[in-house]
Amino acid sequence: MVSEIITSIFGDLTPIATMIILAIGALISPGIMMFGKNHNITWAVALILSVVAMLVDICLLVDDYSGSYLGVSVGTYSLLMALLFMIVLTIVIFVSNSSVETSKRHAGAYYALLFGASLGMVFVTASSDLLTIFVGVELTSISSYALVALKRRDGRASEAAVKYAIIGGMSTALTLYGISMVYGVAGSTDITTLAGYVLVSDYFGSELSWMFLIGIICMIAGYGFKIAAVPFHMWAPDVYEGAASPVSMFLATGSKKMGLGVFIQVFLFMFIGSVALGGIYGEVVQYTFAIIAAFTMTVGNVVAIAQNNIKRMLAYSSIAQAGYILIIMAVMTPEAAAAGTFHMFTHVFMKGGAFLIVGALICAGIGEKISDYKGLAKRAPFLAAAMMLFLFSLAGIPPLAGFTSKFFLFASAVGVPGEASGEFVWLAFIAILNSAISLYYYARVVKAMYIEKGACTEKIKIPAVFTIAIVICLIFVVVLGVYPDLLYGFCEAAYGLV
Amino acid sequence: MSMILSSLIIVPLIGAILSLIMGGSRENYAKYVAIAFSAITLVIALLILFGVFGEFDSLSEGFEWIHNSSFIMNYALAIDGLSVLMVFLTALLCLLVNIFSLDEHRENNNYFYALIMAMEVGLMGVYLAADYFLFYIMWEVTLIPMYFMISWYGGPRRHYSAIKFFIYTHVASLVMLIGFFVIGYESVEPGAAVNFSFEAVKNGIASAALGVQSLIFALLFFGFMVKMPSVPFHTWLPDAHTEAPTEGSVLLAGVMLKMGSYGIIRICLEALPEAAAYWQWLIIAIALVSIIYGAYGCIAQTDLKKMVAFSSISHMGMVMLGIGCLSEAGLVFAVFQMFAHGLITAMLFMVCGMTGHKVGTREIPLLGGLAGRMPVYATFMMIAFMASLGLPGLVGFWGEFPVIFAFYEFILANDVIWMLLFCMLSLMLTAGYYLWAMQRTLFGPETTKIDLTKAHDVGHFEFAVLLVLSILVALFGVWPDAALQFLEPYAEGLVSMGVI
Repeated sequence: MVSEIITSIFGDLTPIATMIILAIGALISPGIMMFGKNHNITWAVALILSVVAMLVDICLLVDDYSGSYLGVSVGTYSLLMALLFMIVLTIVIFVSNSSVETSKRHAGAYYALLFGASLGMVFVTASSDLLTIFVGVELTSISSYALVALKRRDGRASEAAVKYAIIGGMSTALTLYGISMVYGVAGSTDITTLAGYVLVSDYFGSELSWMFLIGIICMIAGYGFKIAAVPFHMWAPDVYEGAASPVSMFLATGSKKMGLGVFIQVFLFMFIGSVALGGIYGEVVQYTFAIIAAFTMTVGNVVAIAQNNIKRMLAYSSIAQAGYILIIMAVMTPEAAAAGTFHMFTHVFMKGGAFLIVGALICAGIGEKISDYKGLAKRAPFLAAAMMLFLFSLAGIPPLAGFTSKFFLFASAVGVPGEASGEFVWLAFIAILNSAISLYYYARVVKAMYIEKGACTEKIKIPAVFTIAIVICLIFVVVLGVYPDLLYGFCEAAYGLV
Repeated sequence: MSMILSSLIIVPLIGAILSLIMGGSRENYAKYVAIAFSAITLVIALLILFGVFGEFDSLSEGFEWIHNSSFIMNYALAIDGLSVLMVFLTALLCLLVNIFSLDEHRENNNYFYALIMAMEVGLMGVYLAADYFLFYIMWEVTLIPMYFMISWYGGPRRHYSAIKFFIYTHVASLVMLIGFFVIGYESVEPGAAVNFSFEAVKNGIASAALGVQSLIFALLFFGFMVKMPSVPFHTWLPDAHTEAPTEGSVLLAGVMLKMGSYGIIRICLEALPEAAAYWQWLIIAIALVSIIYGAYGCIAQTDLKKMVAFSSISHMGMVMLGIGCLSEAGLVFAVFQMFAHGLITAMLFMVCGMTGHKVGTREIPLLGGLAGRMPVYATFMMIAFMASLGLPGLVGFWGEFPVIFAFYEFILANDVIWMLLFCMLSLMLTAGYYLWAMQRTLFGPETTKIDLTKAHDVGHFEFAVLLVLSILVALFGVWPDAALQFLEPYAEGLVSMGVI
């Protein structure tokens, strides 16, 4: 229905319709800023474009569209991931104009970079070749370095940007090195071909190619930097702390999800057949990921306890959340992938909401220390209540979205209907234990807001757009908690479960 | 769809939200809101109990809540002879606790009452749920308010106790959650979606191998036994009770511990009867150890509240013993003991909590001769202690002795007559520590170690609450059928299904 309209407008280009809109956004926002000299107009245009891109994506998703153009092929999976990125982009753009942390003079560059980064993300999820994926990831990464650096006259931001760029560059090198090795052994960079290579060598029991495995491990490490998996996580807290809060939100909810998307597209699609067959390649990759997942969630949660800066705490908590989502890669079943994708969505709303509140409070002159949040319940009852719900949702308290998605995710580690396999039950144990640990540091913030007395009792006023954005996140955190079917059907369709 | 059972959850929920937003200048009204809503809940519970809405067995309600290719979760509520008593107890104690704390002035009063009401939501949900997913949600919902109640309103070591309570019970509940995953997955054919309703899982799991069943039983039983708590996973309880405010202790011991034994009966026993028979000796061993160890622990305590906490371990061990008999009588009186212990322990914690408030300390060696100065208080304390040690004519008697009779049948059937010694020992110890504590606290010369000039007797609200509880303790003591009439049909149902 609706998709027919879109098809009639874009014709053959429909699969890349979202990307076209994003590219337009990236190209025209500097121009508007330059000639219009007004950051409000730039903001309005950027917002409209991002909303249009999101609506186009939703229409295609709801109508179950699939198609391909040149090397880009679009299906439920890529449309769903694109929806996630569009949601993040729209929320970030929506609040950016009112945030005191973003530079108004550079609004054109700022929105162009946001669009560019999102374009990379959408491009990645629609690609099925190691090199095109690499190009998309680089587009996102380079835009992100600049985005972090855009918060000028702040030493922390510059430090964060430099650190981010250097570590990002290293990870890029590592990834390319890995890809070259894989190409050298298997003779292709196409993921379907590579999956065939893995299956064939598993099936015929041919010799294990160490070169191939080392290449794979290099790629895991390279992309592991992108999602801040332990032990490649050191940059994340500094970057999230240094960047403007909307940018931190963009990085934590958007580009990290792209990294996880890459994992799904490259490793899940490459090895799922081998795992089903019980092949050695599948086994090695599964256990590598299981160990990375266990360490990522544990280190993230344990270190978060010691943090006094709320942005750093949220950074560590999102490292831990990435660890939960990596369960998909250990279990390697379509059920787990669906559950993990659903968790990515709920994570967008709960972590995004928390970052929005931090950003809104910075606008109101409240610092980033947890001790600055003392007595917040009296000063801003709505913000305190919303923050409490976001944090509880992150900790997995029912009936909020975080609980429901974690329930599905951890259940998928225990087995599949009809068979509780038990192979990765230990991972489920570690994950749930980690949820218990995480409640400890979330509760600290709640305690500061509700029980401890603050020095000041003045009411806090925050920009209206922040309130609206927070309310939207809050609605989704509650609705996805009690009615997950809203999105879960799409998550399952993305992996052919329906 | 009728909403009668849902109203038991919704009414306290509204109460919790209303109390929560009564901040600032309206803080003092929060308690009246809480009392009003818990009173409405109690009225609904009583109406259900007296069958105003028809036989309560037929009051089930629900709808399919979440449906995807792997899972079907239902919002399903049901009530039967087992849960109806627990629902009544929960509603009663929540109201009484709210009234009991009327005189107390604390900062952020509205949060305090919101926490109590939130706990009532969770407790009602646990006792009414007929779906694993809902059960687990509600189970967790009880945990969070209790954690905050201890860590915000507790005694000096509250942070340590709260986190210990939280870690113990949360880790236990996650083991239980894994058990739920396994029982769900094993109850269906490959490729089918797991239906998490109690009924569907029960029917599906019956065909599973005994090995799988007993593994699931172990996972779930562990989760429940930490909550009860049973030795050796009991150490969180004395700490939590010592530091929790009186109201928290009452709800914790009065109804939250029962969630553990309720879960064992509702899930372990009903869904996995063969595994229960397989583990029977272990259950009985854990029960006996808990009974004796708890009683010994009591003797060593100097803090009144800590002593009562240990006595809870011992008495909940008695519940476990009744369940472990796997006989009709054992089960009926185990549940009766849950009910009786709920009433008695509420009184005990109120009285002991008051000691701290009125006299300034709960340390038994510092106390003495309080009866002269606080006669009403002393009377209630005696009633509570006597009821707890099982004096005939009070409700505790019907909880303890019939369980031992049921256990005697087990002893005869298995020819292990020496086990009777443990029961004797436990009765002796219980009588011993209570009488000894009473003697040291209430009687003898008045203590000079602390300043008693400011000590005053019970307040009006406290008196009313304790009076109601004493009347109930006596009423069910002389007329246990009032509660047993609900339990017997339930137990007979289990017998006819071949569960016990």
